[in-house]
Amino acid sequence: MTVPISHFVTFAAVLFAIGAAGVLLRRSGISILLGIELMLNAANLALVAFGRQHGQLDAQVFVFFVMAVAAAEVAVGLALLVAIFRKQRSIDVDRLNVMRW
Amino acid sequence: MPTDFLLSAIVLTPGVVGLLLLATPREAVRLQRWVSLLASVATLVFAAVAWSRIDPANASFQFVEARTWLPSLGIGYRLGMDGISLVLVLLTALLQPIVFISSWRSIHDKVKGYVVAMLLLETGVLGAFLATDMFLFYVFWELMLVPMYFIIGVWGGERRIYAAVKFVLFTLAGSLLMLVAIIYLSFVFHSQTGTWSFAYEDMLRASVPMGQGFWHSPQMLLFAAFALAFAIKVPIFPLHTWLPDAHTEAPTGGSIILAGVLLKLGTYGLLRFNRPLFPEAWQRATPLFLTLAVIGIVYGALVAWAQKDMKKLVAYSSVTHMGFIVLGLFAGTLTSTQGALLQMVNHGLSTGALFLLVGVVYDRRHTRMIEDFGGLAAVMPLYTGAFLIATLSSIGLPGLNGFVGEFLILTGAFPRHPAVVAVAATGVVLGAVYMLSLVRRVFWNPLAIEANRSLPDLTWREVLAFAPLAFFMVWIGVHPGTFLSLSEAAVRRLIGG
Amino acid sequence: MRADLIALLPELMLATLAMAVLLAGLASGKARHGLLGAGAVLALAATGVTLWLAAGATDPGAHFFSGMFVLDHFAIFFKALFLLTAALVVLLSHDYLKRNDYRPGEYLALVMFATVGMMTMASGVNLAVIYVGLELMALSTYILAGYFRREVKSHEAAAKYFVLGAMSSGILLYGLSLIYGATGTLDLATLARVLASAKPGPSALVGVALLACGFLFKVAAVPFHVWTPDVYEGAPTPITAFMSVGPKAAAFAMFLRVFIGGLAPLAASWIWLVGVAAALTMIWGNVAALTQDNVKRMLAYSSIAHAGYALVGLVAGGPAGVNSVLFYMLVYTVTNIGAFGFVILLESRGYAGETVADYAGLARRHPAAAFGMLLFMLSLGGIPPTAGFMGKLYLFAAAVNAGYVWLVVVAVLMSAVSLYYYLRIVLQMYLREGDGAEPATLVAAPWTERVIWACGVAVLVIGLLPAPFLAAARAMAGAVGLL
Repeated sequence: MTVPISHFVTFAAVLFAIGAAGVLLRRSGISILLGIELMLNAANLALVAFGRQHGQLDAQVFVFFVMAVAAAEVAVGLALLVAIFRKQRSIDVDRLNVMRW
Repeated sequence: MPTDFLLSAIVLTPGVVGLLLLATPREAVRLQRWVSLLASVATLVFAAVAWSRIDPANASFQFVEARTWLPSLGIGYRLGMDGISLVLVLLTALLQPIVFISSWRSIHDKVKGYVVAMLLLETGVLGAFLATDMFLFYVFWELMLVPMYFIIGVWGGERRIYAAVKFVLFTLAGSLLMLVAIIYLSFVFHSQTGTWSFAYEDMLRASVPMGQGFWHSPQMLLFAAFALAFAIKVPIFPLHTWLPDAHTEAPTGGSIILAGVLLKLGTYGLLRFNRPLFPEAWQRATPLFLTLAVIGIVYGALVAWAQKDMKKLVAYSSVTHMGFIVLGLFAGTLTSTQGALLQMVNHGLSTGALFLLVGVVYDRRHTRMIEDFGGLAAVMPLYTGAFLIATLSSIGLPGLNGFVGEFLILTGAFPRHPAVVAVAATGVVLGAVYMLSLVRRVFWNPLAIEANRSLPDLTWREVLAFAPLAFFMVWIGVHPGTFLSLSEAAVRRLIGG
Repeated sequence: MRADLIALLPELMLATLAMAVLLAGLASGKARHGLLGAGAVLALAATGVTLWLAAGATDPGAHFFSGMFVLDHFAIFFKALFLLTAALVVLLSHDYLKRNDYRPGEYLALVMFATVGMMTMASGVNLAVIYVGLELMALSTYILAGYFRREVKSHEAAAKYFVLGAMSSGILLYGLSLIYGATGTLDLATLARVLASAKPGPSALVGVALLACGFLFKVAAVPFHVWTPDVYEGAPTPITAFMSVGPKAAAFAMFLRVFIGGLAPLAASWIWLVGVAAALTMIWGNVAALTQDNVKRMLAYSSIAHAGYALVGLVAGGPAGVNSVLFYMLVYTVTNIGAFGFVILLESRGYAGETVADYAGLARRHPAAAFGMLLFMLSLGGIPPTAGFMGKLYLFAAAVNAGYVWLVVVAVLMSAVSLYYYLRIVLQMYLREGDGAEPATLVAAPWTERVIWACGVAVLVIGLLPAPFLAAARAMAGAVGLL
């Protein structure tokens, strides 16, 4: 018995929503990074599932690229957080308010 | 002298000289003054050449120049002159040297910027009068905006910045919609013929569908977009509120150009574009514009009457005079339209002269309040005489130019719109009342204020600036046929009669 | 394989040279600003030459790397524009980095990497390639925004840009995956074929909507614009200049390629979305700019508004629409880089020298620079005879032609509004003086001045004689896939 595609798609959608909510609602820089990772991986999951459905390798290869990009993104994000922490002793994004929103 | 590049010479001489002056050092004030004056005189000479060479019986454009500019949209550098543009070009070219002479002493700060802005402005105005490509017309039209902004904003009076910004925003709001209309008009032409063009002569052949109502009628909408831009410029009541501010705050030279020439672009545009391009819409809008014109005439006169500031008074009198011109245009007969065209020139001469003369006492006393003067007739006889001539020309005394224009407008309009003429005629009376009351209070009331006793009379330079205006006032008053015959064929063509 | 590499040669070359600049920067430390800057400009110039050679050696209609990569006229136009932008930004940065005492090596290398990313985006005809290019550009730009690590504002700008940028990338990627799920392809041409033949399901439409959101974020269109003012204000000014033109133009290249190329069959379902976004962007960008006192923030809102104008061209579609967007990007690039160049000249004291009041009376002390700024403001406001006017003319003509008169009416009214705040700067420079204003002193920055001169001349030349530039843009526009 195989798991139908709709399960994957729904799961990916839920994951994406959780990730987006994390980015928008959480205050800690680390949680926001986690949220972004969740969003990217939701997309990855959907891509892999669709790739299998269409019987192609395109999407699977694309996912490798996305993973590499996501890793780079996290590296940049963490480096930024470290720099901010050194300056402000906090990674609470609410404290980034020198300029008005 | 060949006439192949005559119009380019007229249009580009001031602007090119202005740009060259930009490179001169700031201290070379004498050079800048003289060169700018010579450039404007040269332009006047070119305009006079055009006057001597033009064939007034020929209604179509002459001295035509056409070069491609943006071939993909059919936009060209197209210039042409007919009788209508000739008259207005002559007026512009005549007023510009007068502006330079009048501001010889009164502008002493940042002279370079002033003369450059004035020369660029002149190029914009002349280009707008001579462009026979809709797009080129728009470019010149917008080109006037920036110099005028600086003239008001840098050399103006106390509230100059407010006035400058108001002037720009009012003008721009109208003219950008006109740009959309121009593009749409060209699009209509494209869809009817399959070729892109912005040439005026081509646009005349595009028949814009009339449609139903207002919002579903392309012709009404295009008419409205053009008319809005021009009505703001004229200005037609109730779009006139920028005018008193701009006029009062502008330096004397700026006011002369603004009143003498820039306002004419509005009425010129109505006659040149709205009338022939959108004939049905013009018919349908006639009652509205006649009403607004009459309101403007009476309202402008009443408000002018109540002014305490001489310059503001003259500014509001412009609203009245421009109302007459709009009335003449929309009355639509050959006589009234010819009268309107002549009145454009008359208003340029008389109001230009009045602003010039108000500037004369302002330079001496640094006030324009009527109550600060009185009894000047005893102290400044020459000045009094000049002011009297300008006033009489403005209120339409027979024998001077104003009479001919108003008379033609009113007689031309009477057969079709007697009621309108009846109301408008009260404007003539009111005009006489407030102008003569101004003259009485400034020149014949007792000489009560000490500072006025020692006012020097007109200098030779001021006389030199005023004399050509007076000369033409009398010429037009005595023999208007010289000028009416220039434009008759062209006007006939535009109004299709 | 050989042809593939030739087509990719400009990117390969720039990436290699960027690494060389990076290493040279590490080896030479802070002292060698001039050398590294010159190296970066030469590298960009060499890439430009390579691009020219590669374009000559390949067939503009050909596909490379199994149909993932093209070097058509459209791509060449944008790549040339990106290289020009990057070179101007490097020149602008030279004096600025030196004055603020930051190391040039990584900075220049990152600008070059971002350029490689943008070039890849312009050439990609496969969603995966476009995505990778986009991320290369975005990651480099995040770091650049936070490059001034001693400034809190710079950190803040980078953090905000990063969070919102990464989130938009996530949305975009998710949209891609849904479209892939619905069609089974990442290739734009195949995508268009599949979408044209079958009626798309709801998931494809959701995918298109998400994709549109991601793109609108990248071009800073309302309602996805909130990051722009803060990021533009906080980032080092040359980087602000870079972000306002380079990545924006790259995003438009991708937007045109994907929406007018791949998603054309679904036009009916996205065009109203983009149209409404364009109108809102123009309205909100211009209205919000009215109240700004910080010039960088004002230019940020102005860049939002200009994205709105360019979107009008996208909505108009067709060769004329695409052509007008390309031309507008060129016009906007030279104008905006010039304007930011002037802001850089004024930033004499760290982050000071940015409020509108700092411009008071500048015309008297620095007439030439003030005249340049006047030109840029008029061009941004769309007043003839500047380039900005011609750019708008073509956008509006394309939109009227396509029947979007209402959008053009919104655009022109907003142009009138925009002139109010552009003229505020002019007014400060020329009209306010004497009344106690102490004009700021411009710093000596010869290269910045040269950039301003070049941009000023370009603004006038394009404004007076746009025909050759338009012809270039038109030659390029035919190549966006399915036109």
